[in-house]
Amino acid sequence: MSTSTLRRSAGLFAQLATVLALAVGLAVPAAARMVVDSSGRHVEVPDAVHRVFAAGPPAAVLLYVVAPKTLVGWPRAPRADDLPFLLPGVRDQPELGRLTGRGDTINTERLMASHPDIIIDFGTLDDTYRSLADRIQAQTGIPYLLIDGRFGNTPAALRLLGDILGVSDRAETLARAAETAFAQVDQVLAKVPATERPRIYLARGIDGLETGSRGSINTEILERVGGVNVVEGVRDAGGIAKVSPEQVITWAPDTIVTIDPKLVELLRQRPEWRPVPAVAERRIFLVPQRPFGSIDYPPSVNRLIGLPILLHLLYPQRVTSDVHAEVRTFYRLFYQVDVSNDVIDDLLGAGR
Amino acid sequence: MSTRLRFEHVTIGNGGRPLVDGIDFDVAAGSVTCVIGPNGVGKTTLFRTLLGLVPPIAGRILLDDRDVATLRRTAIARRIALVPQSYQGDPGHAALDVVIMGRTARIGLFGGPVRQDEVAARRALDDVGMADLAGRPVGLLSGGQRQLVLIARALAQQAEIVVMDEPAASLDVGHRIALLRRVRAMAASGLTLFVSTHEPEQAFEVADRVAVLGPGARFEIGTAEDILTAERLSTLYATDLRLERTVSGRRVLVPAAPGHASLAERGSDAGPVPAGARPTAPMHLKKELET
Amino acid sequence: MRRTTIVVIGLSLVLTAAVTIAAGVGPYRIPPGDVIAAIAARLAGEDGDPNIATVLFRVRLPRIAAAIAVGAALSGAGAAYQNIFRNPLVSPDILGVSAGAGFGAVIGILLGLPVVVIEALGFIGGASSVILVAAVARMLPDRGNVLVLVLAGVVVGSLASAAISFVKIIADPYEQLPMITYWLLGSLSGVRLSDVLVVGPTVVVGLVPLFLLRWRIGVLSLGDDDARALGIDVGRTRVWVIGAATLVTAAVVAISGVIGWVGLMVPHMARLVVGPRFDRLLPAAILMGAIFMVVVDTLARTLARIEIPIGILTALVGGAIFVWLLSRTRLGGWRQP
Repeated sequence: MSTSTLRRSAGLFAQLATVLALAVGLAVPAAARMVVDSSGRHVEVPDAVHRVFAAGPPAAVLLYVVAPKTLVGWPRAPRADDLPFLLPGVRDQPELGRLTGRGDTINTERLMASHPDIIIDFGTLDDTYRSLADRIQAQTGIPYLLIDGRFGNTPAALRLLGDILGVSDRAETLARAAETAFAQVDQVLAKVPATERPRIYLARGIDGLETGSRGSINTEILERVGGVNVVEGVRDAGGIAKVSPEQVITWAPDTIVTIDPKLVELLRQRPEWRPVPAVAERRIFLVPQRPFGSIDYPPSVNRLIGLPILLHLLYPQRVTSDVHAEVRTFYRLFYQVDVSNDVIDDLLGAGR
Repeated sequence: MSTRLRFEHVTIGNGGRPLVDGIDFDVAAGSVTCVIGPNGVGKTTLFRTLLGLVPPIAGRILLDDRDVATLRRTAIARRIALVPQSYQGDPGHAALDVVIMGRTARIGLFGGPVRQDEVAARRALDDVGMADLAGRPVGLLSGGQRQLVLIARALAQQAEIVVMDEPAASLDVGHRIALLRRVRAMAASGLTLFVSTHEPEQAFEVADRVAVLGPGARFEIGTAEDILTAERLSTLYATDLRLERTVSGRRVLVPAAPGHASLAERGSDAGPVPAGARPTAPMHLKKELET
Repeated sequence: MRRTTIVVIGLSLVLTAAVTIAAGVGPYRIPPGDVIAAIAARLAGEDGDPNIATVLFRVRLPRIAAAIAVGAALSGAGAAYQNIFRNPLVSPDILGVSAGAGFGAVIGILLGLPVVVIEALGFIGGASSVILVAAVARMLPDRGNVLVLVLAGVVVGSLASAAISFVKIIADPYEQLPMITYWLLGSLSGVRLSDVLVVGPTVVVGLVPLFLLRWRIGVLSLGDDDARALGIDVGRTRVWVIGAATLVTAAVVAISGVIGWVGLMVPHMARLVVGPRFDRLLPAAILMGAIFMVVVDTLARTLARIEIPIGILTALVGGAIFVWLLSRTRLGGWRQP
């Protein structure tokens, strides 16, 4: 508990720092502005930004929600099933490859051939990513901005990007929505005693035996909505972990969350999962995975919709709002698509 | 054991390339045939052809009127044993185990050695005077002892024909003499032997007949007296050689030009041979240099 | 009683003890009494505690059985390969079976196919890369030479590795890449009873030819010409050995992922105990491999709160033991094929 408080206050601090840095950046006059990114790098950015290269999937989602038309391509093209949830024109953009994370899949020439005005990366801020940004920027001459990808930083990230791209109004609306979502979580959690907090297992992978351990970016949202991640990793800053059914049985989670509809079926059928309380009590919850996952896939703005949905699933007595309406509003506001109630039911695995 | 082994107009070769042709002779049971010829002329290939390891390019080798090339491997192994130039196997094997492997052709396809095989192997080791070292890994034996293990393996194989490919090649004088004695004893026990050697003098001591594989793909066979003439040997090894008799009547092969004899006295530690001395390098030194 | 017989009986007892201990430990605490009670209840056809029964009979025991199969298969195949290739540094991977299996499985993961299909693709990939190696070696002029086979194996293996790397970069980095990584590190964490029921018998079937031909395989260690002269059809024997070794290796790799070191190291350990004679080495290597894998897998599932991929542990433990072995054995005399 104390670590997460610490992390939250650290996030707050980072937010504050960003705002301050932004104020300084805005003071610079103008044909090309000087912007300070989340890592404190001073980057000169053209006044009007029309084409943006997203360095990785999280950045692509952030860009998509703030200013979809600026996206010059996808780090990884959306799959066929995702297309109905994305704007025409944008969803058809080519796959260009990714620049950060586990190995680049785009070469510098191709990056330059896509003529981006700037490059945005959204995620971890450490020396590796900072030096990578400096290097690409020096090599290509294209401004490269790093934005803090921590979940709590989402509103600030939205505002920062809105400012960079000159779409502050839309960014502000989105940031407010994000703040509302976080506030709703805090309100609900304030009423839930520690004893009622669910013990959650995140099922991933092909057999559900892949998961994220406590403190990992993959399960951040579960902890944010008051859940206890049953998977304790070998270190505090967790990551993806592979576990065995015996361990899951031992951890005895009362809730299993997944974004994969196939896993819901699989875990219900397999005898070795039967002793797990969550399976026995049929508390295997499906959360939307289209167009982007609502838990971690990728760890970006898309996770916001996971907040209200998880609140409804985990604390049904304490949340009175209409989940369908919330999902519909989120998709309309962030993804700019309309989803019917049937589609929402399908996304939530209702009737399974 | 009255084996009839016959080479019929055989041409031997490697990978389709003929080495020696016109190999045509009968081999009497219990006889010793020495095979001589310069390096690379095809002595080993002749033996591999006899063992059915490579097919003859032309002609056939008949073992009791059956073409060796058509016999199954076990059938050949029961009749013909090989003593290779050197042991190439796992040095961790105990001497006894290597000898037991000689029994393979008598062990069923899916079986392993039984008591009887071990008894035969121990007897073979005892025959070559190696009974004490049965349990020692081959890698820890001397070159001569290893050669004896390979001979014991051939004995354990209980084949009536034994092919020995330069068995003396890596042996010191003492072991070489012991080996020739062993060859004579094996012949006396009724085995038909083929022995290749780099030292023609040895042929006088053990051979019933000498086969010469000469340059220019010539094959000749006859008694040692007929075949091993100074002229023929000089042509064969492209060196002027002379046959001399020692006081005891033994024949030795010496270089014809006496001026170069001092080189031989320096022994095999002589190091690089001076360019001019090469054509007349004595036989054992020549062998050292080329192997 | 012969030394080998004593060793085999001793190793069987050790394996029994290892299995007994392994069955009793795990993250889910089951007191020894309850383990016995559950097994007794099972044998009597009663139900007993359902959770204990599930953990024991659906998770733990199948996994131990899988560990035995994996260890036996890799070590048996490794011992046979070291013998026929006459090289102590040979492992069952030499003909590209692991890389091929990896490629098959990784394609399955990329396409989002069910686990059973991924396992099947792993098996097919492993087996076909060996077939490809044999085909490539046959096309070359020096086809009878084992070195040609080994070189063809190196080529096909690195092709498969390159293909795996390519799949890695086009795979989804959040969903598929971790899965691929775990598969390539090897793990028994997801092994199910149904896997064991298929792979166990396959391993037994594959080890049978090695057992039957044990003496002939041993004679192959003398070198091709010697072995032929001693009455062995070298080519045919080698085909049987490679076929059998590929069958067992591909089968276990399909369910366990890539597990290194076992097939290289365990035969050396066995050699130290019973000597190089293959008919004695094979049973010892199989038993020691089974023991080793049961022990290592028990560590993999109990050392930390999450699974430690077994490939990491075998490399760690195996590497250390191998260095110790090198300090004790004489490899100097081994010759290249």
